[in-house]
Amino acid sequence: MKRLTSLAAWLALLLCLPLGSVPALAKEGALSKETLACLKCHDKPGQSKQLVDGETLSLYISAEKFIASRHGETDCEDCHADLDAKTHGKTKTQIASRRQLTLDMRESCRDCHKKNFKTYDDSLHAALVKQGPKEGRKDAPLCSDCHNPHTLLSAKRETALDEVPCAKCHAAIFKAYSHDVHGLERVAKGKAAPICSDCHSAHGVQAASLGTSVRDACLKCHTHAVAQHQDWLPNTLRHFEAISCPVCHNPNAKRRVSLRLYDQASGLQVREKLGVPQFERQTTLADAQQLGLDERALWSLLNAFGQSDKAGSTVLRGRLEVMSGVEAHQISDKAHAIKECDTCHRAGAPAFQSVSLTIAGADGQAIRHSVQKEVLTSLLATESIRGFYAIGSTRIQWLDTLLVLVVIGACCVPLVHLGVNRLFRSVRQRLQAQRLADKSAADPGQAQRKDF
Amino acid sequence: MQRIYINPLPVRIWHAANALGFVLLIATGLQIRYLDLVQLISFRWAVSLHNWIGFALMANFFVWLGFYLLSDKIKVYHPELNPKKYFTDSWKQIHFYGYGIFRGDANPHHPNAYRKFNPLQSMMYQIVMMFLVPLQFVTGLLLWDVTLFGTVIEQMGGLRVVDSLHVLMFIFFSGFTIVHIYLGSLGHTRSAHFKAMVTGYEEVEMQGEESSEQSRAGERQG
Repeated sequence: MKRLTSLAAWLALLLCLPLGSVPALAKEGALSKETLACLKCHDKPGQSKQLVDGETLSLYISAEKFIASRHGETDCEDCHADLDAKTHGKTKTQIASRRQLTLDMRESCRDCHKKNFKTYDDSLHAALVKQGPKEGRKDAPLCSDCHNPHTLLSAKRETALDEVPCAKCHAAIFKAYSHDVHGLERVAKGKAAPICSDCHSAHGVQAASLGTSVRDACLKCHTHAVAQHQDWLPNTLRHFEAISCPVCHNPNAKRRVSLRLYDQASGLQVREKLGVPQFERQTTLADAQQLGLDERALWSLLNAFGQSDKAGSTVLRGRLEVMSGVEAHQISDKAHAIKECDTCHRAGAPAFQSVSLTIAGADGQAIRHSVQKEVLTSLLATESIRGFYAIGSTRIQWLDTLLVLVVIGACCVPLVHLGVNRLFRSVRQRLQAQRLADKSAADPGQAQRKDF
Repeated sequence: MQRIYINPLPVRIWHAANALGFVLLIATGLQIRYLDLVQLISFRWAVSLHNWIGFALMANFFVWLGFYLLSDKIKVYHPELNPKKYFTDSWKQIHFYGYGIFRGDANPHHPNAYRKFNPLQSMMYQIVMMFLVPLQFVTGLLLWDVTLFGTVIEQMGGLRVVDSLHVLMFIFFSGFTIVHIYLGSLGHTRSAHFKAMVTGYEEVEMQGEESSEQSRAGERQG
């Protein structure tokens, strides 16, 4: 009954309005009568509404773009069901802010896009929305921040670089991407080259500096990468596990060691519990002077996390990565990738000068605390960072000292022995003469025979 | 003096290959670990060579093990089960190397084909061949493919522990090689033991000839 009343009201609205710029659309039957009624007003450029926060909201909906969009067959009231046709446009309604409107409207998306919405709900973007006391971070993306519901086109269609929504928030990263090997390929070859969502997924975006999702995305396209690296790179799989691709494929990047906290039993990265900022509290306590965690502090911290985590003990897994998202998107042509082992496998290599302890925050973002770089070469950290070792560059310095001492000691053995032997020379000669004399006395015949 | 065939051919081949292999492993190991100090060849070559030589020495170890397990010469490695005799003989040997040798005294150990090691050598070579060398091989094998042997590495305490064990053995063998070569020069002449490792024959003083050996030892020591 309610539906019928609503329909009647929309029809009344339609009849009241003169047919203007959308007759063709009406004739083709592309739009329902109700939608047509909405567009009679909203298809006029320049109209807007003043919001409570002072912002201006454009009310213009291009009928042409709308009908060409993926939502072209959707009725306005499918999403705007809360609007009452009887009062809409006649009484003044107040909208707090554009953000509030977007937040209110996203539930409409969920009705049809259940699968994508669920993926989004588990994503870093959704976590950022939830972060904060009320409506989350204001820059956290909601559906319509990336997808304009009135003009949205098929995701299968090739998106031009200047239309990619990610660039709105990640401008610096996108600029880097557009100049790197993938961005240039995208311009040259179109969809054959990856765009943001190909590596980071469109709705299930996770922090790229956590987990292995981005590396897995690389290997999804570069299916022969492992085999090609195995031709020349010893322990290839270990390198792939412990080093992010841009570390070698952006030769100019600054690098760092990220020591990630993992639960040993489940094999999952330790994640901060919502509302319990344990990591920040523990690291601040352990590093009161803000010099970076030393090996003892690191060990205490691991024990503290292990005790608080019922699943099992906490371990560190090290990973070499580039410093910033921009550097991760400056992938060079493979001819320029680093292949020289001594870039990393020598003492003092730049890649090991910055070390951080990393945990996944409650919102899915990486939280870091600085670790003293000496930890990587410390004997006392053998247990703490048991899973991270790079030959040459993170060698335990105490073993170097031991080697020097042992070699010096071993060289001293012949030197001292030969020296003492020389000191005994006269004693030896005297004893030798005495022995010969004793022998002669014991067996004079033999002595005579010998003399003879 | 009597010439005794003390080092059979398989043992000499094993020893020569082992000596060459250990020197190369130490050299390439130094290059791999101290790339900032030693750059004889490229790092990648050093790693490949180190791996191949390591596998060759593992095979060589089984030549040694096979020979001794399949021949009666294994008696040279039989431990002295009488502790009193063992410690008395060991002390005599220590006394000889630390004092008697300087006076020109005769070596208290008289080797033969089934008892070629003095008590100190016997103990040291048992530890080296049955524990330290296999430990070096096992840790080297684990480091050769850390993904394939990831579970074992984790059970042993992690990559850092396995590598440290490998390096500790490397340090030991570096020192051992230096001292081993010097001790090899303490035969009745400086080159006697080296010649024996080439020809297989050791010149051994008979029991009644001790005084003349002392004389020769005195002459050798100069």
